[in-house]
Amino acid sequence: MATALARADFEVETSTRSLGYNLPQRLGRLLWFPMFLMALMFFGAGMALGIARANEISDAGAADTIATLQHVQAGLMFLGFVSVFSAISFAIARILGQFRAGGGEVQAAAGRTVQTLKMPGTAKVFLMLMMVAMMTIVVASILHFVFAADIENTPASLADAEDRFIVLEGVRRIGTAIFLFGILLGLATIIRVLRFQAVRMRQLPDEAATH
Amino acid sequence: MTALAELVRRPSPDADPTQKLRVRNVAIAVGLAGVALATVALVGNILVASGDAEADNLVWTFGLSITGFGTIKLGIALVLTGIIVRLWMRVDAVRAALPRLNADAEPHGDVQYGSIETPFGEGTLTEKAPGLLPPQAMARIMWKPMIVMGPMLVLLGLVLSFATTGADDPDTSQALWAWTQGTLFLGEAMLLSGISFLLGTILAGLREGGGEVQESLGLAVKTLRMPTSAKVFLVFMFTGLMLGIAQFILYGIAAYVDDPATWFAWLGPLRELSLGILLSGIVLALFTIGTVLGFQHWRIRQIIETGR
Repeated sequence: MATALARADFEVETSTRSLGYNLPQRLGRLLWFPMFLMALMFFGAGMALGIARANEISDAGAADTIATLQHVQAGLMFLGFVSVFSAISFAIARILGQFRAGGGEVQAAAGRTVQTLKMPGTAKVFLMLMMVAMMTIVVASILHFVFAADIENTPASLADAEDRFIVLEGVRRIGTAIFLFGILLGLATIIRVLRFQAVRMRQLPDEAATH
Repeated sequence: MTALAELVRRPSPDADPTQKLRVRNVAIAVGLAGVALATVALVGNILVASGDAEADNLVWTFGLSITGFGTIKLGIALVLTGIIVRLWMRVDAVRAALPRLNADAEPHGDVQYGSIETPFGEGTLTEKAPGLLPPQAMARIMWKPMIVMGPMLVLLGLVLSFATTGADDPDTSQALWAWTQGTLFLGEAMLLSGISFLLGTILAGLREGGGEVQESLGLAVKTLRMPTSAKVFLVFMFTGLMLGIAQFILYGIAAYVDDPATWFAWLGPLRELSLGILLSGIVLALFTIGTVLGFQHWRIRQIIETGR
């Protein structure tokens, strides 16, 4: 009964050997580390600019310099966040790849038909949200740099810079929320994969060897 | 409540693996609620920028968006608890299946216990399953208080943000604004630490479960030594949490200084740096989990193919 339920519950691909990693998983294995390093660099740069801005404020520096530093610092810090969230997403994809490739290899080693779970809906939405959030935060960060270059020491320009900062702040935050939710879905996919693995492992001994 | 009850203890070995965990759907709903909070905050920011709302509204939109992030992180923590439960079901499934799948081992001489090399790094070969590493034992205890305290602090910060919006006196407003920021980000840092401890708990489950399965089959137990990524993860997590506590204390000082703008200018990046370091630690924890899973699949295959 449990077996019948399980088979109805999962969409699988069958083969005689492990299907290995799919494209997002290969990307995850390749890109998590560069993203991780980039995050550390951007966080360091963002912190340094924050200190520089604090010095400007403390020394009663020019208002346009302070406003420019505010935009550039926020842009750098959030490039750091987009990098670290990407690294997390790629690391999750790498874990899912271990389940896909390793699970297939175990079934093949047992001489049974290799069943591989098709990409679940949560994984597809995870990838989509990751891309949407990445674009949202990267575009907001670039706009911070563009607006920073546009600041002059006039009341109108400084007011514009402030308004633009407020809107971009909201955009960055919604991008962050979407990224975090995507990560949640990526992890929820692991729950589904683990359920499939547990069910599949219990099926294996009762199946006839195929090779 | 049923969803929470699923998380308290290890499932029985006879638990039906086909049964779905309610906590997964609860976590997704919690995450969506967090996204909705951040969306409301975005609308508030746009209204202020367009001149349709007063600038002091930015304080509560800040509080609301950080609360939104905290809500999603709580959802992530719930998903991780679900993963822990599922990992145990996987351990039970492997333990039930392996005796009927592995090759008959040929007699062999004395086993050389000690250090071994594996495709996934250095490991150990022992007669019995090794116990948990001290950080893993600590992680199993510490994730619960962190996951409870984090959201409480975030909610307190949200309340403070609304109080700041309504404050007329400049000194009171400065103090409340400083405490709002410090409290919200301490809550966020605790939530991320709770998530880090949950990842440590997953690593603990992988180590304990892997040893348990091998020992139950009467085999010598192969276990990975703590990978470098796990050691660096611990350093990042500790540093991030310490910075999270430090920014809270420093905001407490900034609440009563004469030049708060200077303090806020560098405390803002500092609080973000603390979260960034915690998140970087989480990357390394996830990488370590991937490595350990690779090792486990390799070991299961080895047992099936060689019987030892």
